[in-house]
Amino acid sequence: MKRTTGVIASAAVAALLLAACGDTDTDTEETPAAAEETATETEATENEATETEAPAAEDEETTEDAAPEDEATTEDAGEEPAASDGTSLVIWADDLRSAALEDVAATFEEETGVPVTLQVVANENLREQFGDAVSAGAGPDIAVGAHDWLGELVQNNVVAPVQLSSDLVGQFSPESVEGFTFEGQTYGVPYSVESLALIRNVEMAPEEPATFEELVATGQQLVEDGEAELVMAQEVGQEGNAYNMYPYLAAYGGGIFPLLDEGGFDGSQAILDSEETLQGAEKIAWLAEQDALTVNLDGSNTIPQFVEGNTAFLVSGPWAIQQATDAGIDYAISPLPDFEDGGDPSPFLGVNGFYVSANSQNPQIAQTFVQEYVSRVDVQVALFEAGDRPPALTAAYDEVAAANEDIEAWGLAAEGGTPMPNIPAMNAVWGPLGIATAAIVNGQDPAEQMDTAQAEVETAL
Amino acid sequence: MSQSVIDPPGSTGEPPAPGTGDGVRTPAGVHAARWALIAAALLGLGYAAQQAIEAGSWLIVTVVAFIAMSILVVYSTQRFIPAKYLLPGLILLVLFQIWPIVYTAATAFTNYGDGHTLSKDEAIVAAQAQSVRQDPDAPRYGMSVAVPEGEPIETGELSFLLTATPTADAEELEEGAEETGDTGENVTADGYQLFVGTEEGLEPLAAEGVSVRANGTVETAPGYRVLNLLEANQRSREVTDLAVPVGESGSAVKAATTSQAFVGQPTMVYDEEADTMTNAEGKVYVASETGNFVPEDGEGAALPAGWTVNVGFDNFLTIFTDPAFRGGFLKIFAWNLAFPIISVASTFVLGMLLAILFNDPRLKGKGIYRSLLVLPYALPVFVTGLIWAAMFNQQFGLINDMTGLNVNWLGDPWAARLALIITNLWLGFPYMFLICTGALQSIPTDVKEAAAVDGAGPLRTLVSVTMPLLLVAVGPLLIASFAFNFNNFTLIYLVTDGGPFVDGNSLVGSTDLLINFSYRIALESGNPNIGLASAVSIVIFMLVGAISYVGFRQSKALEEVN
Repeated sequence: MKRTTGVIASAAVAALLLAACGDTDTDTEETPAAAEETATETEATENEATETEAPAAEDEETTEDAAPEDEATTEDAGEEPAASDGTSLVIWADDLRSAALEDVAATFEEETGVPVTLQVVANENLREQFGDAVSAGAGPDIAVGAHDWLGELVQNNVVAPVQLSSDLVGQFSPESVEGFTFEGQTYGVPYSVESLALIRNVEMAPEEPATFEELVATGQQLVEDGEAELVMAQEVGQEGNAYNMYPYLAAYGGGIFPLLDEGGFDGSQAILDSEETLQGAEKIAWLAEQDALTVNLDGSNTIPQFVEGNTAFLVSGPWAIQQATDAGIDYAISPLPDFEDGGDPSPFLGVNGFYVSANSQNPQIAQTFVQEYVSRVDVQVALFEAGDRPPALTAAYDEVAAANEDIEAWGLAAEGGTPMPNIPAMNAVWGPLGIATAAIVNGQDPAEQMDTAQAEVETAL
Repeated sequence: MSQSVIDPPGSTGEPPAPGTGDGVRTPAGVHAARWALIAAALLGLGYAAQQAIEAGSWLIVTVVAFIAMSILVVYSTQRFIPAKYLLPGLILLVLFQIWPIVYTAATAFTNYGDGHTLSKDEAIVAAQAQSVRQDPDAPRYGMSVAVPEGEPIETGELSFLLTATPTADAEELEEGAEETGDTGENVTADGYQLFVGTEEGLEPLAAEGVSVRANGTVETAPGYRVLNLLEANQRSREVTDLAVPVGESGSAVKAATTSQAFVGQPTMVYDEEADTMTNAEGKVYVASETGNFVPEDGEGAALPAGWTVNVGFDNFLTIFTDPAFRGGFLKIFAWNLAFPIISVASTFVLGMLLAILFNDPRLKGKGIYRSLLVLPYALPVFVTGLIWAAMFNQQFGLINDMTGLNVNWLGDPWAARLALIITNLWLGFPYMFLICTGALQSIPTDVKEAAAVDGAGPLRTLVSVTMPLLLVAVGPLLIASFAFNFNNFTLIYLVTDGGPFVDGNSLVGSTDLLINFSYRIALESGNPNIGLASAVSIVIFMLVGAISYVGFRQSKALEEVN
């Protein structure tokens, strides 16, 4: 009796021991940051379906377009994200961009003999995962992302400088390169530029409004006639949206941070309570009074209101186009109109591009890819086809714009815009400014709200 | 147990093995298996330690060594019988419970967060690497990486074989030649000017016997073994670090890509003795106590890359003294107590009433009703939370549409709190319904009959007999439910995200729970500050601990009464 119990017990202990050791093994191999990352990976898989900027239908199309004989491997997001290991070039991008990159990856592999691994990471997780993974000593060689991540990535030493030759810099639109420049150093190669514009339902409002006042009057007339339910649709939300309200704040020369002479922003002081910014804030109050802005329109219901024909006007970006097309809306894109008193709403520019990891195991190869391949016209055109945003490379933009009037319109809308500040100080602005603008839309006094936001930003800086 | 399995003691005539007090001899096979498992475990741990050493994490090496020693001590001898059973659990407890707590506590005393994630050494390296600038209008060279012929690829001295392109205008070519020593013999037939660069400097490379590829890089050169892309990549770190000095200003030729080199220099230089950084214009940055290089003269911004430093109790002081926190923290704490109490009370009352109703034997079709009632519990909160948030929209939401009200559900602090209670009532009552149904069925019917015999009406029976018995059964579950709602991050995050934010305070929302508040500080606020968030987590941990302790004591008292 005793002996069998002993045998069973030691077997059980052995099993437990093995299980325990198995756990210790995996645990000890990971730093806490890496463990955290594994947790977010699971979320990444779950969240992938909810990507707001990337309608699923488009995704499928582009995936089918990719030639099956491609040598490049695209891995599923469910697996552990591939990390740079010195044998192949690992690129992290969201589903759309990976699909667009498959051809160029194959070309790169053919020409250089270096295999390329494309890793799909959901867009909203990319920034955090990229930062965490590189800090933990892993991560990709290259990540595709937005320019306003830059300040934070430099602070945490996640990205390496990209030394662009001067003639290459000249081939890109100046704003796009500026977006990837931080404190005089370039950290990425841009491929597309996006901004807010006015998207108009041509059937409901055949004429392009010359001024914002005209736009509001037309919208109100449509509501009065019962043809529309809303004067205009633009995302604000309960917590406000500084990105969407910025065009108005900047309309009279105001903004968030003062521009430096040498380019970039002076992050040490905010100008939210300046006279020019306040003049813009009053326009927000006026638009809200006219029922053109409301906090009840948020990220989940703004574009649907336009797509369902409840309003003739939508202020949004290229990410809204797919849904409008799918709904069969006859739309036209134009720059945001001016105000009658001369105010000229100026949207933020968002630039997308390629970052090189500071921890890359293949630094020269990664640099070759971003400098010599991403800057090619065919690559930029392929990325345009995946994302519908105007290419940053001038030659590619000209080629695309000649055949696509939408792109020309987006290009026009982006003219005069400033790249969203990529300085880390910007992180301190989104919250307070968003809440201040939401309060203004809710009828609070603009001057008071902008003062409060200014005070809060100043404390945080 | 069959007789054959047990050997009667002493049946083989051998004396009992020493160490086994009961005289049962363990067969050799068991010993072998035991030692094999111990060896396997140690081998696995050895591998883990190896990985940790490579990653340079001495803390993990120490932990692994300690685990290995405990395994050896506990399982190699015949003693420590209880420890043999407890050890695996203990190890797991330490790794997955104690360690995260210790790690969080340690982080709470630092300024770890954006801009302070590096160590000081890393920050110094980063500041210098980020400061490498191209010299304006300096030439770009075609570049090949090579080692002297005969030396091994892995260790041979690296040199750059450089080509100045023939397309560059003649003037620039000549200028470059002056600086770098044009011998005239280093120009190929198609106009490429050739150099070889090493750590010592740039020298002309004789054009004879050199072949140049179409992209302007050297393919072969006598006396050199040109590395192909993958060979050069094996030494990519060294290639990155190789700087060929040119000129007198500290400029150097560095690799830009696999086939191009640029002339540039770091504009930030670290002075180890003074612990300062100096930029190209001579501006000096000193290391500050908060983990940044700040300008010595106090003008201008600090360098972007900072490092983690120990800040002592600063984070805790911030929670209790910073005006934005102090007012907010108390407000949040009050709501953080009210929300779970109201949630548990409301869901329990509704769940219990429904359970009592559906426990009545006269009711038909109970199965269907019960399944329908459990539905809200079966749907994931990630879906229902967002749907409820949309339904509470003042202008487009279902609730105002249906009721004809115009309540600013998500924009008014009190309405938002009510909206959360309503949502949580809908989400939470099925759970209470389930546990009450279970508990009710375990209450013997004879006590109710006895109450009826004593002349108590249905209400009296419910209050004086059923409820106390029910509370004994579900009391601990109510406390667990309280603890869950105390940290019900998901619901708040999905429905109100802590909002509405009033009085221009974007950190402290009207419906924030402490956990949502710390999440915002850690990840969503202007400067993500993990250290501060850890401090908030520790405060929450202590609060939940204290509340649970009091709660369980109370429920024990409840049991004793009955």
